[in-house]
Amino acid sequence: MTWRLYLGLALGGLPIGALYALQALGTVLVYRTTRVFSFAQAGLGMVAAFTAASLSRDHGWPTWIAVLLGVAVAVAVSVVMERFTVRPTKGAVQKTVVTLGWLLGLQGLGGVIFGVTGTAAQPASPQHEVWSIRSIAWRFTSLDLLALVTVVVIAVALGLFLSRTAFGTAMRGVADDPEAARLVGLRAGTIASVSWGLGGALAGIAGVLAAAETNLDQVSLLVLTVEGLAAALVGRLESLPLTLAGGFGLGVLQPVVDQAVDGRRQAGVPELFALVVVLVALALRRRRGRADQGGAGLPPAPLGALPTGRTAIGMAAGVLIVAVVAPLLKSTITWADDVASTAIWSTAVLSLVLLAGVVGQVSICAGTFMGVGAFGAGIAFGAGLPFLLALLVGAALAGVAAVLVGLPAIRLEPLELAIATVSVAFTADQFLFKWTPFVGPSRSRDLRPPGFANGDPAPSGHGLAGHRGYAWLCIVLFVLCALGVANLRRGRSGAALTALRSSGAATSAMGFSVPATKLKGFAAAGFVAGVAGVLLAGLFGQASATGQVGSPFDTTHSITLIAYAVIAGLGSVPGTVVGGLLVTVPAALTASSSGLASQDSAYWIQAFSGAVLVLIVVLSPEGLAGLAARARQLGQRGPDVAVAPAVG
Amino acid sequence: MATLELSGVTVRFGANPVVDGVSLSVHAGEVVGLIGPNGAGKTVTFNVVTGLQKPTSGRVLLHGRDVTSAPPHARTAMGLGRTFQVVQLFRGLSVVENVAVAAHHHTRSGMISDALHLPWRGRALAEARERSLAVLDFLGLSSLADVPVDALPVGQARLVELGRALALQPDVLLLDEPASGLDPAETHEFVELLARVRAVLGVGMLLVEHDMGVVMPLCDHVVVMNQGKVLAAGRPDEVRHDPQVLEAYLGAPEPDDAQAVS
Repeated sequence: MTWRLYLGLALGGLPIGALYALQALGTVLVYRTTRVFSFAQAGLGMVAAFTAASLSRDHGWPTWIAVLLGVAVAVAVSVVMERFTVRPTKGAVQKTVVTLGWLLGLQGLGGVIFGVTGTAAQPASPQHEVWSIRSIAWRFTSLDLLALVTVVVIAVALGLFLSRTAFGTAMRGVADDPEAARLVGLRAGTIASVSWGLGGALAGIAGVLAAAETNLDQVSLLVLTVEGLAAALVGRLESLPLTLAGGFGLGVLQPVVDQAVDGRRQAGVPELFALVVVLVALALRRRRGRADQGGAGLPPAPLGALPTGRTAIGMAAGVLIVAVVAPLLKSTITWADDVASTAIWSTAVLSLVLLAGVVGQVSICAGTFMGVGAFGAGIAFGAGLPFLLALLVGAALAGVAAVLVGLPAIRLEPLELAIATVSVAFTADQFLFKWTPFVGPSRSRDLRPPGFANGDPAPSGHGLAGHRGYAWLCIVLFVLCALGVANLRRGRSGAALTALRSSGAATSAMGFSVPATKLKGFAAAGFVAGVAGVLLAGLFGQASATGQVGSPFDTTHSITLIAYAVIAGLGSVPGTVVGGLLVTVPAALTASSSGLASQDSAYWIQAFSGAVLVLIVVLSPEGLAGLAARARQLGQRGPDVAVAPAVG
Repeated sequence: MATLELSGVTVRFGANPVVDGVSLSVHAGEVVGLIGPNGAGKTVTFNVVTGLQKPTSGRVLLHGRDVTSAPPHARTAMGLGRTFQVVQLFRGLSVVENVAVAAHHHTRSGMISDALHLPWRGRALAEARERSLAVLDFLGLSSLADVPVDALPVGQARLVELGRALALQPDVLLLDEPASGLDPAETHEFVELLARVRAVLGVGMLLVEHDMGVVMPLCDHVVVMNQGKVLAAGRPDEVRHDPQVLEAYLGAPEPDDAQAVS
């Protein structure tokens, strides 16, 4: 009896697997030709799906023309993305951050234009059953058939194109040897455009099919991103057949594994499985020595140009006073909450500055650590601990979580770490933040700061004094964390962390254990993120993994946070306040409260953040802080004191 | 007891041994040169000493203690300092800050006390800086202390890297082709500096080097490797006239190169 159940589930996973495979093929193609790992693929898919749906349903165009145009738009966006934002950017990790910006921007723009509801993306396509086997509860629709046929045809065509045509051969060679392309009379730029265009087409087709199959919305967009990434890693970002196998394998195995561990009682098992696949694939990739040569990570923040230690604290405090404390005096409850929120998000950005700016690791799961902190504190608070002690417990738990993520992650290249942490964030959304023993049956836990009356509905039910007090608490904790991070950078541990970014071998030759040093960096960053998470939960009076715009601890917020950190300038402690303001000011301007805006304005903010992130990385890789430092340098010294050029 | 000792070290990549039963030792204050033609296994042997390469068999002893499977940072703690063939300075830091990373090896200040700015952290910072400035002074680099290392020409970068290794106060200094990238004048200066380091600080050294102009005047003892094995070992002048060595090195009995350096 059970084998029938499993067989049905496995066969039912085939069409989804086909979508994963299609998504992954685009990622692999782009990576093979330009050595850029693009996170934007699913965003392109969404663009195609929304365009097609809008044309066919709202304007009555024939479905096939609408789909064709949708895919064409995805191709155009992909080519533009590569030509004008990815190509001018230096460094593998920076290029990847640019694609993250596009993912955010497209996701936000999609929400702005088309709204959130998944059905909006569903093109008018008739689905009728073509085949079913009742004994294993399996039915196969015309759409499923279309998905399977499309993927197989595309994979075969792509394989033939790459191996049999001169252009395809040049595409394969161009990443490792730009000369190879010139030999057959093609420019590397043309090849890059073609491969990104093709990648956009694959993403577009995957998006249209996904919208028809599963109602593409913000979550399924991330599903496609994360599962497509797992499949691409199974293919070692190299092999088309293995990628195809990875996509189908994942699609087939996920429902089976889910059933096997009784997924009805626990959500997120398929995502957990995908995370395991990602981690195993990354580990195997390393063993084969397939790591990128170009994975040198982010360039060290220009430490000399940026203030450290007490200067940093002085500046941070100055910015804080001007920006938030002054308004606090005339405070209304909304003002007080906005101030608290700014301090909280500044603390969250600080955690990334520590990890990305000091340790040099791009981690895309800061939101996850915040959530772990918030729920950890919620549990402690529920057990009767006072708020401040619960805060410590939560932050410590977030530190532990960061170490757990760090353990497999520290051996990865920066680019691989970015991939792994996106998977972690997404798995946490789907699994950890739905796991009843951790988040409670209602997916929320009470967490009331002192001065917030018990039982009051958060946040408007509290007195002004309570809100004002809480804002001060957030500011004090932010300043303490900033002080800690700034001090850390100047001390022995900071020396080791900074050294690590240039050369692991040389750092260990200085007597520092590389894994231990990285883990300490993770622990500290996790702790700071945890503090931010607890404080955010405290502002709402509860830690909650649900919300009208998604949980504040979800993957999108994690990506947004890294965007803000990059915009503010990784490595800049005062910049974190700018990061915090980037969260609250647009939210306040769009007339909502507490950094979590209403649905519509949230999309605007997201689109805006994505666009600014892309612009900043392209124009000034060191962020606003880098721009400021450059301006200062220009003002201070003339060209005659320029130091000798580096040799060697 | 030798400060550093390799006994019967063998490294196989697949079936063929790249390093085959190599034994050598460095005594306190002794300078040992490891030479040999390309592909002789010098670099792999060197990596076995630093801990980057685990030998298939054989042992590495530091002060008589077996460190064969100890990671690089643990060996540093036991008195091993090193430089790299391609200079690996910490970008974005100044010269003195680079050296201070090493000087911190002797300070005790943990992450938490760093973050909280506890009193002993201030002392540790001051101590590390003082020690670093002393090393820079010894190497004649004081004037460069606050220059960012990214701006240094390779000759000075090598000196800073040497200073960084010395700030660890090692018992044995491992030098991986210290003269590569230097012009003859710079090489000459560097050799004199190394001689002074050894005379004043009494640091033992193991150096892998192609340039006979570095090896011959500096080394007390030379180990010649060929095809993974120790071909000859002894005083520089003994080794230089060893017919086997001449053949392995030059494939001819009459060495121009070897004579030119004496």
